[in-house]
Amino acid sequence: MPLWIGPMRKHINGQKELTHHNEIIRIDAGKYVYIPLMNGFSTNIEVLVSEGDHVKVGTLVAKRNDNLIVPMFSSVSGVVTGKQTMMHAILKPIEHLVIENDGKYEFEQSFAPIDYKKASREELVDFMMNAGIVGCGGAGFPSYIKYKNPTGIHTLIINAVECEPYITADFRHIELSMDDLILGTKAMLKMSNAKKALIAIKSNKKELIVKLKTALAGSPEIQVAEVPDVYPMGWERTLVFELTKKRYDRLPSEVGVVCNNATTAIAFAEALRLGKPLVEKIITISGDGIKNPANVSVPVGVKTSEIVEKLGGYTADEVLVIAGGPMMGKTIPNDSFVVTPYGNAVTILKTQKINDVACLRCGRCNDTCPAGLLPVRINNAEKANDIETLEKLRSDQCIECGLCSYVCPSKLDVTEGVRRAKRLMQLRAKK
Amino acid sequence: MKFTFRVSPNYRDSISTGRIMRELTIGLLVIYAFALYYYFTSYGTSYGIHALLLMVTSLSVAFATEIAWALFLKKDLRSFLKGSYPWVTAIILTLMVPITMTYYALGIGTLFALLFGKLLFGGFGQNIFNPAAVGRAIILASFAGAAAADITTSATPTTAMEQVGWMITKPELATKFLAQFGGLGNLLVGFYPGSLGETSKILILVVGVVLALRHVLDWKVPAIYIGSVFVFASMIAVIKGMGAWYPIFHLATGGLMFGAFFMATDPVTNPTSASGRVIFALGCAILTVLIRVKANLPEGVLYAILIMNMLTPMIERLTEGWQIKLAKKYTIAFVSLFLVGSLSIGATTFAMSYKAPAEEAKPTVTLGVPVLIFGDDTALSPAEVTSSVAEGDVVTITVSSKGYAMLESEYDENPKPNILIVKIDTVKKTIVSVAFSEFHDTKNIGDKTNSTTYLDQFTGLSITDPTASVDTVTGATFSSVSVARAVRAAIDSVVGK
Repeated sequence: MPLWIGPMRKHINGQKELTHHNEIIRIDAGKYVYIPLMNGFSTNIEVLVSEGDHVKVGTLVAKRNDNLIVPMFSSVSGVVTGKQTMMHAILKPIEHLVIENDGKYEFEQSFAPIDYKKASREELVDFMMNAGIVGCGGAGFPSYIKYKNPTGIHTLIINAVECEPYITADFRHIELSMDDLILGTKAMLKMSNAKKALIAIKSNKKELIVKLKTALAGSPEIQVAEVPDVYPMGWERTLVFELTKKRYDRLPSEVGVVCNNATTAIAFAEALRLGKPLVEKIITISGDGIKNPANVSVPVGVKTSEIVEKLGGYTADEVLVIAGGPMMGKTIPNDSFVVTPYGNAVTILKTQKINDVACLRCGRCNDTCPAGLLPVRINNAEKANDIETLEKLRSDQCIECGLCSYVCPSKLDVTEGVRRAKRLMQLRAKK
Repeated sequence: MKFTFRVSPNYRDSISTGRIMRELTIGLLVIYAFALYYYFTSYGTSYGIHALLLMVTSLSVAFATEIAWALFLKKDLRSFLKGSYPWVTAIILTLMVPITMTYYALGIGTLFALLFGKLLFGGFGQNIFNPAAVGRAIILASFAGAAAADITTSATPTTAMEQVGWMITKPELATKFLAQFGGLGNLLVGFYPGSLGETSKILILVVGVVLALRHVLDWKVPAIYIGSVFVFASMIAVIKGMGAWYPIFHLATGGLMFGAFFMATDPVTNPTSASGRVIFALGCAILTVLIRVKANLPEGVLYAILIMNMLTPMIERLTEGWQIKLAKKYTIAFVSLFLVGSLSIGATTFAMSYKAPAEEAKPTVTLGVPVLIFGDDTALSPAEVTSSVAEGDVVTITVSSKGYAMLESEYDENPKPNILIVKIDTVKKTIVSVAFSEFHDTKNIGDKTNSTTYLDQFTGLSITDPTASVDTVTGATFSSVSVARAVRAAIDSVVGK
């Protein structure tokens, strides 16, 4: 109903040209790597090695052990030197496992590779769990859960949208590993019991679409789905609605869909083929605050400062270092946070003053909110401490995509107001 | 090295409130430029300059008011004005007033618009009513006579339509009615006197569409507003058996186009949600049509928008919640409102009827005190004979005679004498007829002498009878005497003193 509700999305300037065609630069780890002992919001991680242990690339070093199982692996070969609390990309200090890098990158298979065609569905799900495959779109949610009980799933959506500005890591990774993307997708298709898979790509990536279609010639069950260049097209709900015209309450399985990120599929394929977990990431370092914006291939656990140094350093004395893209990524007040398996970018921007004026009640935030919320109303209710209205306005449904602040012509921090509202509601719920 | 911390997102759209207001200002100035062109070319420099000075007046008062307010509150002047946009209100208000508006009334209107319409509510973003609409309402209510009698004293299309009850069923009458404004086409193009910026519907549409495409205003509001007025007017046309010209007339006259594009879209005073704005626009449409066809006002746009401004908080409450879950509620609200509107407008059509324009009432003339044609009264300020033409026995004499306006009154800055034509039969020595060729005396009083009741008394009077007299018109003695004076002068010119 376009008349009752706004477009719930918006085209934004992607700034992708900064890194679109640059060569991927391989960056070695420095003297130490730091493996973050965290998954999702859980820090219930069991460390399986002790100080002084020798590890190789692919050695299992820790495991999330609560309701979900997520193994973690070493990204270098060397010696475990202990634990250290450091700032993490989610803007919270957490414990990291410190490994001293011997620079040899000796590799050991973390698990035996398997042929997805021969393996049963259940074997594949277990394999995925033990390979530590997590969602590479930013959330780090363990992927195997989605395939545990796939009832009524008819479509697998592989999310190659990459709607955050500046980030081109997925795009470059897909270009390089098209065969792995198809292999991973086929394995996931088998695990999901779905009939078909859709690889969702922004329609402006013409060349990649042509290449992918050629590569998919022999696989009629996998199709390329072109989606418009709008934000947040890569959000699961926006994407599922775009492709199925259906909305769901909690999980996409309600409408017969399961989603995974394209780089997750690639990582899964590498695990299947080589018995190698996700220990090295391609990430985008971009923005006007870095001298040479680029996509880099870097082991998990390397500090951002080391990468920045290799790319020529900062361009200004005052910068914003953002873990992720500029829309959803959090600003970290230092550059010593490390590369994670689920992160895909660091955006570095020159600090610029934002001059805000009074809200003119234009309602742009309400029209573009992809969750269908009313951000300006939430902000007003939050200021008035009006919990009842906040509940009615469903502030809890906000994913903090940042679009309300982005569109605000008065340059107000609308998203932050909604965040405060969410915290207010959480505090109230705890009482 | 300094790492700044800032909450996400750290990426902003290039559109800003400043840019929105700038583009809106440019759009409004384009419309104003058309008005200036029209008045300069069609009515001459003095009208053009008046249109210019009206804008200057409103802008000056607007800035003076805001500056005084900023100083009063001890705020930084520059940043206050930059975030308050007083000129937008001033421009919109000026575009809503007719060319005959006095500077004084517009100035007071502007002051009220900004002070009571905006600043007292807490400034930009806090006001409930559209400030320009408040200013216009103040002018309408307090300065009804502020429009000096002038070129535009001829009725505007909406006033003329109001006089016939917003209804003309006979096609030939409709054609005749529209012809006085140059037809529907000219109403759309806008070459007729009216509110400065409201006449050219086509230009407003073009500017409005460009601004909507540039996301300066939300297209939904004018689309629903104008579209619904068209639907409701068509409904009346069908019920009453009027042609397609009728709904088009509704669109082509008054402030509908201007109001729908530039006032109903004011984000500060309309709802913040898409559904709310749609309901708001529909409400405006219903009220506009109802006020037009039924209330004692020629135009409904202004009050419709003000009333809906007042209902905005209610609409906000109605549409509050999780939008994607409320589509059904929104649909019900919109459809119910549409039905209520249709029913009330449908019901009013029963009370609508064509009112034939009243014939201008003739002043009743009663005769009183007599005046001697050759008496003392006519001896003073004698009339002048300007020409004399003999044709057989009858001489036609043109006489210029000073009337009340020239002798006594201060009502006119440039009083002119009345010009009379007196015909005398030189053989029969009688007066054949007396008539005015130009009448310049007081309206509604002196013009009573310009009636056959008075003038026929002269016919047949002997020009040689020193006691010849006529009875003067009661209440118009001066004018009556001036006629007698003219007759005396005419007789004198024929017989010689």
